[in-house]
Amino acid sequence: MQRGERRKSGWQGVSLVAIAYVYFLIFPQFAFLKRLASLGQGATHLRAVMAAMAIGGILFSLLAPRVSRWPSPNLRLRLGLSVSGSAAFLSLLPLGLAASVVVSFLIGSGLGLLTVTLAANLRQWTGNRHPLMLVGLGTGIGYLVCNLPAFFTAPPEAQTAVAGLLCLAGICITLLPAPAPAPLEEAQALPQHNLSFLRVLLCFAALVWLDSAAFFIIQNTPALKAGTWQGSAHLWANGWLHLAAALACAWLLQRRGLPFVLSAAFLALGAACLLLDPDRVVLASILYPVGVSLYSVALVAYPSLIAPASSAAERGRQAGWIYAIAGWLGSALGIGMGRNLGHVPPAFVLGAGAVVLLPSLFSAFRQRAREVALTVFILLAVFYLHRVLLAVDGSPQLTQVERGRQVYISEGCIHCHSQYVRPNSPDVLMWGPVESIQELRLQRPPLIGNRRQGPDLTQVGARRSALWLKAHFYDPAEVSGASIMPSFAMLFRDGRGDDLVAYLESLHGADTAQHFTEERLWQPSAEAVREADPAWGERLFQRDCATCHSNGGRTRQTWQSNFKRLPPDFAVGSFFYLPPAGPDAPRIERLAQIAKFGIPGTDMPGHEYLSDKQIASISLWLSQIVAQSTQKP
Amino acid sequence: MEGFMKLKTLDELAPGRRAPQVVAGAAWHSLLWLVTANAIGVLIAILLLFPALNRQLGEWTYGRWIMVHMNLELYGWTSLPLVGLLFRVYGADRGPAAEWCRPVLWVWSAALGVGALSWLSGYSSGKLFLDWSGYARVLFPAALLAVWLLLAFAFIKSWSRSENFSVAALAAKLIGLLILLVVPFVLYLAASPSGYPPVNPDSGGPTGASQLESSLAIVAILLMLPFGITRRNAANRGIIATGWIVLAAECVLCAALGRADISHHRPAQYLSLGSLLLWLPLTPAYYAAFEWHSNTRRWRLAFLCWWAALLVTGWVFFLPGVLDHFKFTDGLVGHSFIAMAGFTSSLIIFVMVQLLGDGGWIFNRARSFYLWNGSVVAYIVLMTIAGWREGFDPTFTIVPGTARNVLYALRLLTGILMFLASLDWLLDASTLLREAGSVSLPTNPAQEKTS
Repeated sequence: MQRGERRKSGWQGVSLVAIAYVYFLIFPQFAFLKRLASLGQGATHLRAVMAAMAIGGILFSLLAPRVSRWPSPNLRLRLGLSVSGSAAFLSLLPLGLAASVVVSFLIGSGLGLLTVTLAANLRQWTGNRHPLMLVGLGTGIGYLVCNLPAFFTAPPEAQTAVAGLLCLAGICITLLPAPAPAPLEEAQALPQHNLSFLRVLLCFAALVWLDSAAFFIIQNTPALKAGTWQGSAHLWANGWLHLAAALACAWLLQRRGLPFVLSAAFLALGAACLLLDPDRVVLASILYPVGVSLYSVALVAYPSLIAPASSAAERGRQAGWIYAIAGWLGSALGIGMGRNLGHVPPAFVLGAGAVVLLPSLFSAFRQRAREVALTVFILLAVFYLHRVLLAVDGSPQLTQVERGRQVYISEGCIHCHSQYVRPNSPDVLMWGPVESIQELRLQRPPLIGNRRQGPDLTQVGARRSALWLKAHFYDPAEVSGASIMPSFAMLFRDGRGDDLVAYLESLHGADTAQHFTEERLWQPSAEAVREADPAWGERLFQRDCATCHSNGGRTRQTWQSNFKRLPPDFAVGSFFYLPPAGPDAPRIERLAQIAKFGIPGTDMPGHEYLSDKQIASISLWLSQIVAQSTQKP
Repeated sequence: MEGFMKLKTLDELAPGRRAPQVVAGAAWHSLLWLVTANAIGVLIAILLLFPALNRQLGEWTYGRWIMVHMNLELYGWTSLPLVGLLFRVYGADRGPAAEWCRPVLWVWSAALGVGALSWLSGYSSGKLFLDWSGYARVLFPAALLAVWLLLAFAFIKSWSRSENFSVAALAAKLIGLLILLVVPFVLYLAASPSGYPPVNPDSGGPTGASQLESSLAIVAILLMLPFGITRRNAANRGIIATGWIVLAAECVLCAALGRADISHHRPAQYLSLGSLLLWLPLTPAYYAAFEWHSNTRRWRLAFLCWWAALLVTGWVFFLPGVLDHFKFTDGLVGHSFIAMAGFTSSLIIFVMVQLLGDGGWIFNRARSFYLWNGSVVAYIVLMTIAGWREGFDPTFTIVPGTARNVLYALRLLTGILMFLASLDWLLDASTLLREAGSVSLPTNPAQEKTS
């Protein structure tokens, strides 16, 4: 019986933590703001209303542990839940400005009383067995529930009603009979740490500040919002990430202690803040929930379980300071930063890092003085030695091609592209001609590579124009069908992109005429011609050719004025490089050669890697289109 | 009490005893880099499946991460255990030198960290596995030099302390020390853009003679290894001499082949490379002639199996027709995985288990052993299938379709499993390091005697 009660008491704690988080996350931060907006007070009086909430929160966070009236934790918790729930239901009424301020004050007051009471007496509801894990579970469930798509996207009235009903449920939980505490020998030993209370307070303030600023920026930047918490997939992913990170945090708190968790939370949140850019929002959308959950668990666990305190009242006072200063003030300052700056300045992230990480690093370095001293000494000594070597070598003036070659090396192109055409192999026809070993050894170093995720580039300058290369670097998939190459558009912000194009253009042998002649003699195999499928050819055209050869093609539109000769729109012609009207066979043959190897000296690239059957299918379909378009008046 | 407080060095606490945290520290640093490199490997596998994610990484795209992944595996995971081995062989894990082992490991890791940042920032020499460039090209050899200085210091200390040393052992250590001194300078020069090994004109890869040369260097390490960490048993002494004679004969063969740019279609090239198959029976017999800690059994067997697989596949993949089919494909990626994730990893884990003795339990959990080796086998099979297809049709990877994506998704899964296995080892190594750091235990005297 006693065992069963203990188990139940654990779930009381989990439920209460989850309820507090769901209420706090979904109601004051979302539903209430939307409600104010729908009442026409969103823009004009928002600051006054939110100030009332902050004042209520700070006041009751600090006062609650100091008032001796109603000492029973259960009673106080019921009171906090009652005020919070009442505020939620009251907000459903058509409120004026004064009423909104009062309700807002009630929300802050209720939350202040609720959170401080819960933190000061948490063991009463979690018991002594694995309390950290229970806090992690409660926090994670709270975040998961808030990210359930149906709940997250529900109308504010529904979210408000759920928040109020959850408070009622919380009251019912506190009415359950209080269980006996677990015997001391079953209690889990919690990790000790030597952090001062002031330092922990500053760390939480920095983390809440970062969180609130990032939250406000995401919420008010459509591109960021679309990439983080819009759509069911995002919401489910966020919910499970929060739960996983919260459980991981509980485990880490037990195993590695509070300083480790705070550092990890800062690294995740700080990186997320620096990545708040629409181009990198995927990374931010992963790091942000991880960082938030890490510190959110610690925010409950520290005052309730980890902080050294001799009584519940002392715990309450510590919780009060943390929630008032770090929670309410940190949050207000973060929102202010987001509103006024629209971004989190890197210098601020650095400052927050100094608050959270430096003391731990300093302490670690003090214990490892010899290691740090030797490492720093060698780093500095090598720095000066390197400068001397540079001075001795001098810095030679590089040509554009040489600079481009260095860009090729820097970007690791060698890991996807070879520069070696193997003699007597299919390489020769696709990417030839063969380069001699003597030519290869003139390169310093030869860039043969050992893997082909993309085509060989030994003679790329003879097969691709500068325009094609540039367009391809900007958006490979747009120019080249299903290309898996990443975009290197960033190289064109400075001169590196043009240098790289110049280098690739320089990659061709002295005499390619013989190879071009062989290309002109090439034909797809008879079997491929026999099995050619024009429907397949059309699909391949849409994937690989339409971007230039249809009127609305994206590459055609983007680079229109840069083509040496605008590629023909196959719907209308005209076809400069095809034989004039006559029998079909020579036209199909020429189309196949052009599709396979392109047209030297123009912007038309080859598709050397396509099979004979693919080429035969494309050329067959194209010949039909060409025939139709040339018959048009 | 006052006298106790004055005790500072490990030598003063336990004069002449080994500090268990030295080898444990080397294992921990090595595992830290393995976990980091494996995490990057997982990222790379994800990028191959979802290339659009490169956009999220700014300038740190796929090509730059590959450099970090490969170099951390080589210079972190596979090199640091050998540093631990050298600490043991030269007695740096006892006496005043032991105090400097951890700082030197820090310097090594700092150099790797700087290297990783430099590769991500676009500094590279363009030479695979010799990617050191700019500041990092000077820093990493400096880290090697720091290791050497510590070894030299430990060598001098142990010489002056030793009462009954053998002249042969002393000479061997001295010669080893002189060879090690050359390594930082060779590494610095080898990373220079000028200078390139012989090229097989029909494949663009190494010649048979080059492969034989590098394989014989590995064989030499395999033959030397036991002398540093254990002792011979009474039986089978003849096999040790046989091993060295065969190695000498193969070195002569290699020298006769020369260093020209020669095709793998020449019978002399693939037949001489085939001489390595002699090590299929010789290596297990050679290792059976030494005494090993009971904890090493599992990984000794694994390393010998991977070595056999490497010898056979290394030769088969070089044969005319086979190499022509697989060159530049995932098939050779799979083969290099046999070398790095299979053979080299199991060998260095075996060495670490021998060095750690009873502490070798960190590598002996059944779950991580089977997770690692099973995932490596699965990875190799997947890459061989992909390479086989790619050999017929380069579009298989250049223009990815469903079959390629399924294979790559499964490869990602094996990568995640390998990452988890390495994480398991790192967590256990952290526990071991904490335990070793808190108690300065003398090691098993019998084991101590072996070195």
